Amino acid sequence: MTSEAEARASTASPAGRRRLRLDLTAPTLLSLPVVWLVVFFVVPIGIVAAYSLDALSITNGPHPVTLTSWRNLITGDAFLGHVYLALFWKSVKMSLIVSAIIVALAYPVAYYLALSGTKRKYVLLLLLIAPFLTSYLLRVLAWKVLLGDQGPINSILSSAGLTSPDHPLTLIYTQFAVMLVLGYIWLPFVALPIFVSLESLDRRLLEAATDLGASRLQAFVRVTLPLSAPGVFAAFLFVFIPTLGEFVTPSLVGGTDGYMYGNQIVDLFATGFPDWRTGSVLALFLLGVVGALTLVFARFLQPRQVATD
Amino acid sequence: MDVALSRRGAWLLRAFFALVVAFLYAPILLLLVFSFNDSALPTFPLSGFTLRWYHQFLTNPDLQDALKTSAIAAALSSLGAVILGLLAAIALVRHPFRGTGPVSALLLSPLVIPFIVFGISLLLLFHAFGVELGIKTVVIGHIVITIPYAILVMMPRLQQIDVSLEQAAYDLGASRLRTFRSITLPLMLPAVVSAYLIAFTTSFDEYAVASFVKGSTVTFPVYLYAALRFPNQLPQVIAVAVVVIGVSLLVVVAAEVGRRVAERRLGELEG
Repeated sequence: MTSEAEARASTASPAGRRRLRLDLTAPTLLSLPVVWLVVFFVVPIGIVAAYSLDALSITNGPHPVTLTSWRNLITGDAFLGHVYLALFWKSVKMSLIVSAIIVALAYPVAYYLALSGTKRKYVLLLLLIAPFLTSYLLRVLAWKVLLGDQGPINSILSSAGLTSPDHPLTLIYTQFAVMLVLGYIWLPFVALPIFVSLESLDRRLLEAATDLGASRLQAFVRVTLPLSAPGVFAAFLFVFIPTLGEFVTPSLVGGTDGYMYGNQIVDLFATGFPDWRTGSVLALFLLGVVGALTLVFARFLQPRQVATD
Repeated sequence: MDVALSRRGAWLLRAFFALVVAFLYAPILLLLVFSFNDSALPTFPLSGFTLRWYHQFLTNPDLQDALKTSAIAAALSSLGAVILGLLAAIALVRHPFRGTGPVSALLLSPLVIPFIVFGISLLLLFHAFGVELGIKTVVIGHIVITIPYAILVMMPRLQQIDVSLEQAAYDLGASRLRTFRSITLPLMLPAVVSAYLIAFTTSFDEYAVASFVKGSTVTFPVYLYAALRFPNQLPQVIAVAVVVIGVSLLVVVAAEVGRRVAERRLGELEG
């Protein structure tokens, strides 16, 4: 029994006995959601781990536990070399570029909404966020149409005489297309944490800076920017984590040039030549990297709290 | 003098904001234009007005089945997520205990797992236990990924509700269930509804996890994904896109307006 329950039981005497029973409800209430997540979230990850060690396998019969696949990933496979790590690195670079660019674009947008004193800031915020809340695949579709060899961009270019119709500008099925579409998809979302951290900024700090002779730029660099840093970090992680394991967008607009780590994982589980052991290793490696990032930066994921520290 | 922005700075930022919004909406508006374009290829110059593509998708049985399947999966999974999320939110807000930290970390962890990893994990789980893949496995997966949203939407509302209202009912002899039904739930309703809507739209749109555990079930995103790879279906899919995006924008705006109205009313009620 918690001390809080004791306190409540002793202060409210007639209902005291009933209150005691009330506090037993935490485990009862939590049992269903916790069991659900353990069975359908934690245990499955354990099963992936078992596959990665060959303790479980698609082929029948007992298997000795082996670290072969893990060793191959880290030290390089005899046939494939470091192909998986190279692909992972390529995906890290793509995600980093996308995240950096859209955080840089979202910052002034969030700054405008939070600090310009506009009366309709929540309406404008909704206007900004709304595309994020519509279908993901359909927004990819819009770009597939736009970037196509005979799509609007290329038909305008060729009718303006800038390109010949037989040699359209190669936009779709490139790494560029993947990064453009990912940036487009996540841009509205990254503005949110930055907006929250800027909005909780105490304007009196800026007034103090100005009173002490700082220019607006100085006040921005020494006050606003450091205080909004947690929001910026959070925004960065919110894009970087999901884009790193992305496979849907690259498979639709990436072609071979835009092939990412996530596509490799999917292919290892696909019907052609499945290799669940290697696929499990790659999936867990991704999970490990993402988990480490989350743990290291967890404190930035609650911008308000940090901003008031 | 404004300490955050000069007049010229404010003007520049407003222009930049307008540009970003234009960038976000232009592709969607372009879809709207092409959905009425009388050509099998989405290309300029436009070739005349038609409603053919809308008619085609309205009479396409495969597409309608996919929409129906997704609606069922979304309705069930968001119901599950809201119930489980509500139980968790009540426990975490009203009955804090020593393990609250780790438990809420577990409950929110689906927010940060890459969906590809979660999809594979579920696939291997169902494979290991010989569970047949289908709509129920999709629902199971979607409940997991939408529980955090449900909790995050409902917890702040529950924190706002004065606990003495619940205690008063309880002291007056209402059972715990009765207290919940006549006090807590009505006061939480706006948050419950928006949690349901968020979970519903997330599930309705979810492809990554579903692609691993769908078996032969065709949800709407699964249908779209397949259609996106065949150009001859493109005009029809564009018409569907316009309808779906339009409806979801409406739902977003309606949910936001509804939430504000409800909050204002509750504010008045609680004085």
